[in-house]
Amino acid sequence: MAGKIIADTLEHSTAGSLTTDYVVNGSAKSWVNFNGTGTIATRDSLNVASLTDIGTGNHEINFSSAMSDVNYSRSTHMQRENTTASYANIDGSYNNDTYSTTTLEVRTVYMNAAASGAVDSPIVSNQIFGDLA
Amino acid sequence: MSEIITDKLTGKTSAGDVTITSEGGSATMQLQQGVAKCWHHYNQSGTLATVDSFNVSSATDSGVGITRTSYTNSLANLGYAVSGSHNLPSSNTASWVTGLDNSADFTTGQVTCSTFNTASGRVDATKALMTLHGDLA
Repeated sequence: MAGKIIADTLEHSTAGSLTTDYVVNGSAKSWVNFNGTGTIATRDSLNVASLTDIGTGNHEINFSSAMSDVNYSRSTHMQRENTTASYANIDGSYNNDTYSTTTLEVRTVYMNAAASGAVDSPIVSNQIFGDLA
Repeated sequence: MSEIITDKLTGKTSAGDVTITSEGGSATMQLQQGVAKCWHHYNQSGTLATVDSFNVSSATDSGVGITRTSYTNSLANLGYAVSGSHNLPSSNTASWVTGLDNSADFTTGQVTCSTFNTASGRVDATKALMTLHGDLA
């Protein structure tokens, strides 16, 4: 049987102390690294049940354990697909995209002064901070 | 209030698995998986300088807007997740974003991030930030 410790503070001999609410609240509740090109594929993840390929530059992340509300923080990161230096690649969600306790829709797009559009990226990262249910 | 004074937490059943209970109490998660394995705050303008960091052995200026972060302790695989951000100079109205550079410098020992805008491509930022989650070796 696994042991269980109930404590409010952790203290290291040299690095200082930390109340355990920082451990629980400050830990990422989900992260994923996936290949958004071709057949979408997860490389590694935490609390991700599955990915759904909605279309070019449009993906859904489905959580294994639900968040308690939709007030969680997220950040998404992608590798630049276009080799043209003037292109920037950005990531995020459109305002009508799914942002629920169990599913998060993420977009990857390119943009420069003249054009923008959806693009699949070979490396897409997403991290979630917030409260699990 | 209870307090644990220790230098190390190790799982009893599995050394790399310490479980914590969720805020809502209905789920558990692995502590090691949720903890950031690296973060880096750096200034790219002029001579590249690390402002503060965790698990960063060095930072390398690889060109305008391009910074390589090398880890003190390596990651276990290439499945880790990275996110980044940087400040927006008031003099520039173009969109600024941070992303993984397409130089393919994404290894278990280092990652290269670039900061760029839609008007001029890669640019140096005075406040650039990155965070990493994944498995340590």
